[in-house]
Amino acid sequence: MDFLTTIVTILYYLFIAYIVFILVLNLIKSKTWEKEILYIIVLIPFLLRLFRLK
Amino acid sequence: MNISAIRKIIFSAIGLILFIPAGISFYQSRHLKEPVVLSPGVSTVKRLSDYFPAIKGSTDDCHIYFFEGKEKGATLMILGGTHPEEPAGRLAPWLFAENAVMEKGRLIVVLSANRSASTVTRIGGGYPPDFTIPTAWGGQKFRMGDRWSNPLDQWPDPEVYIHYPSNQNLAYVDIRNLNRTWPGRPNGTLTEKTTYAFMELIRKENVDIFIDLHEAELQYPVISTIVTHEKGQELATMVSMMLTDMEGFNIGTEFSPKNLHGLSHREVGDYSNAISLLFEAPEPFLDATRGKTTREQLLTGKDAFVMKAGEHGLLFEKIDENGWPIDVRVGRHTSTILQTMESWTEDHPKKPLVCRNIPRYAEVIEKGIGTYLHDPKKANSKRVVFE
Amino acid sequence: MNMFTYTEIILGVMVLVYILAKIFKISTELSMLAAALAGSLAGGFGIPPRQIAEGSITYLDINLIFITATLFMNILKESGGIAFVVRGILKKFHKNRALLLILLTFLLLVPGALTGAGSVTVLITGGMVAVVLNYMGISKSKTAAIIFIIAGLSAAAPPVSLWAMMTAAGVNMPYVGFFMPLLIPCVVAALITIFLLGWKGEDTNIEKALQELPLPPDKMNWFKVILPFFVFLFFIFMGRQWPHSTPIIGLPLMFLFAALTSFLLSPVKLNFIKISRDTIEQLLPLIGTLTAVGILIQIMTLTGVRGLLAVTAVTLPVTLVFAGLFLMMPVSEAILMYGAAPVIGVPLVLLFNTIGLNPIVALAGLSVIWPLGDALPPTAIIGRLTVQVVGYEDSYTKFLKTCIVPAVLIMIIGTVMVIFSKHLGFLTGL
Repeated sequence: MDFLTTIVTILYYLFIAYIVFILVLNLIKSKTWEKEILYIIVLIPFLLRLFRLK
Repeated sequence: MNISAIRKIIFSAIGLILFIPAGISFYQSRHLKEPVVLSPGVSTVKRLSDYFPAIKGSTDDCHIYFFEGKEKGATLMILGGTHPEEPAGRLAPWLFAENAVMEKGRLIVVLSANRSASTVTRIGGGYPPDFTIPTAWGGQKFRMGDRWSNPLDQWPDPEVYIHYPSNQNLAYVDIRNLNRTWPGRPNGTLTEKTTYAFMELIRKENVDIFIDLHEAELQYPVISTIVTHEKGQELATMVSMMLTDMEGFNIGTEFSPKNLHGLSHREVGDYSNAISLLFEAPEPFLDATRGKTTREQLLTGKDAFVMKAGEHGLLFEKIDENGWPIDVRVGRHTSTILQTMESWTEDHPKKPLVCRNIPRYAEVIEKGIGTYLHDPKKANSKRVVFE
Repeated sequence: MNMFTYTEIILGVMVLVYILAKIFKISTELSMLAAALAGSLAGGFGIPPRQIAEGSITYLDINLIFITATLFMNILKESGGIAFVVRGILKKFHKNRALLLILLTFLLLVPGALTGAGSVTVLITGGMVAVVLNYMGISKSKTAAIIFIIAGLSAAAPPVSLWAMMTAAGVNMPYVGFFMPLLIPCVVAALITIFLLGWKGEDTNIEKALQELPLPPDKMNWFKVILPFFVFLFFIFMGRQWPHSTPIIGLPLMFLFAALTSFLLSPVKLNFIKISRDTIEQLLPLIGTLTAVGILIQIMTLTGVRGLLAVTAVTLPVTLVFAGLFLMMPVSEAILMYGAAPVIGVPLVLLFNTIGLNPIVALAGLSVIWPLGDALPPTAIIGRLTVQVVGYEDSYTKFLKTCIVPAVLIMIIGTVMVIFSKHLGFLTGL
């Protein structure tokens, strides 16, 4: 059970990493300043979790 | 490089300027060490994992402080830090850990029952990361915590939390609420394992009285009261009467509802031989109507907005311009614990509980809790433990 | 300075900065962020990184549900599954107008109910349902009104109703017992809306409709559409049936498994990264809003502005609150979007609790009214999106006028649910 729970948690962190990757890709391709700011703001919570800070 | 690229770099840099100090602050408050200068009455310090090895090495593997009396008697356990956003619930047992001496009977003290929840502040709450209790030697800093375990220790939450073993449905987030996971589950989540470990402790150490310390918002009906399992009805009523008569503060009694599961006052009583009690003191800091969220408000309990809600009859406890200072809240708890020992001893003279060196309500208010916290730098390093 | 003056000044500064940002045509998300930062500065807190970061993570789990559910819906759409279902329903039921309308309502309710976002309904099934409605002889303005109103109701419908979830979380109330109190009004109001606006019309022109609807790939079949939903429902069932002998999966991972099933079953080759990027791009306004709302609420709580709003709301005369719900809910939604739940919803539920109403049914009532605000400026996100997807080119005001009758009905349903919540308490099943 503990093993499966750990796997699930790891899957969540992997998915968070994937979203960070997609957000960064989209940020690089975005063309308006508003979207750029928004992508950076949205990235903050995902990075906080990915680095296990919050 | 085009303008868009330069703009992106600038925005990213601003993002990092926000992210880095925030990240450092989160890391520091998660790892802030709180010293406990052991009272001469502390005979042993154990770990929770001594009772349930599965939590060894986890954030919740907290210290358990044992006080052996000179004479044998009953065993009383004080659980602090179930909800670390309720500071009086940690500070009152802290005064025991640093000062108590048991003359008769045995005392077991926990300061960080949900240690994980003490390493994170409530999202959306605007909480300060820590607070300091002033002392003659400068002051002691404590972590401000949350009601729920840190998601870094337990993630994800379920779609709905189904309590074990009652199968009652609860809010998904409450699977991280230590006072919704009693009596625990050995193969459950960290919070469920933690309560299971405490149940093992209570059973193995033959605890007679179990006390869970809390604080509540004034807009919550269960406040300034002792919530008791049916086994403790007489004891709680006696304690409430004595305190109201002798010490001048009001404390009521309420019976633990039989169909409300996961709470300590219900499950500890049901799944062990112990009498389970839960004490609530008032904490205006938790009220949704509170004004500015500051360390000062946390420690003084002064709040004009909560007072206004009171003027409209929306509160279950009174509040005036004096607020609810932390000394008053801690004093209520120490007196209620001491009175519990006395009332119990009157009824069970063969299994007494006698504790000395702990200030009561009036004394805590007069001298301040800082008086009872000791300087770790001046103490024998072997008698200093970190929470 | 006393607490009232202090927080009133901060609130004034926040409102002013928000209005200014809107005048300069800055998006709602960034306007809220600007208001939050201005509030923090005005309150003497400077720009506090820890508080901003903590606020930004408030709705991380809800954002994950959003992203994974929309990813699932987008994969299903790209694989041709949605077109397959719409065509199937049209072919089979085009002769029975009543049944067709009921099935279309269902198609509109599902995506939003699962994801909690009306925009997902508009984007996933809205366009295709609009094609069918057009060939049933329903005008574009009525079609847009139907899609907008039902998309809003789908967002409020269970299992995921963000307004109810966010408000419940704000008052420490379990998100339990909401299923029926949300489902019944949403389904009833959706059916009334579609029959009110769509009953009159010509016979369905099936030939033309089928021509215009996208063709699903040859190998698409019912099994491939239904299996991913089955996977999702299996995990829900597993968690409820064997909660103590299976690991906790969580809604995001359940949606992700459903999305992967749909991806693997797709008869056409799909580009997962491209769909993910499109999903994030499509959701940016929503996850951006939730992140900004989190920061806004954090700063409002820190400075005491949330307390000011809360204490003002709970000390208002109750009749005034009841009479004003129909206005307060949509307007707060139009300004704050989901932020309306923690800012306005929390104090209202506290008040309802204090005066002895059933907080679950009352909150469900509020949740039904809230989405109506999504058509109103300054944000009007879902309203504008609907008009765009439906291809309605007439004036926006005319679209709003078409929405009025069902909107008033929904306001009445919601308000009645609040006032009589105590009598409707049995709906919660608690």
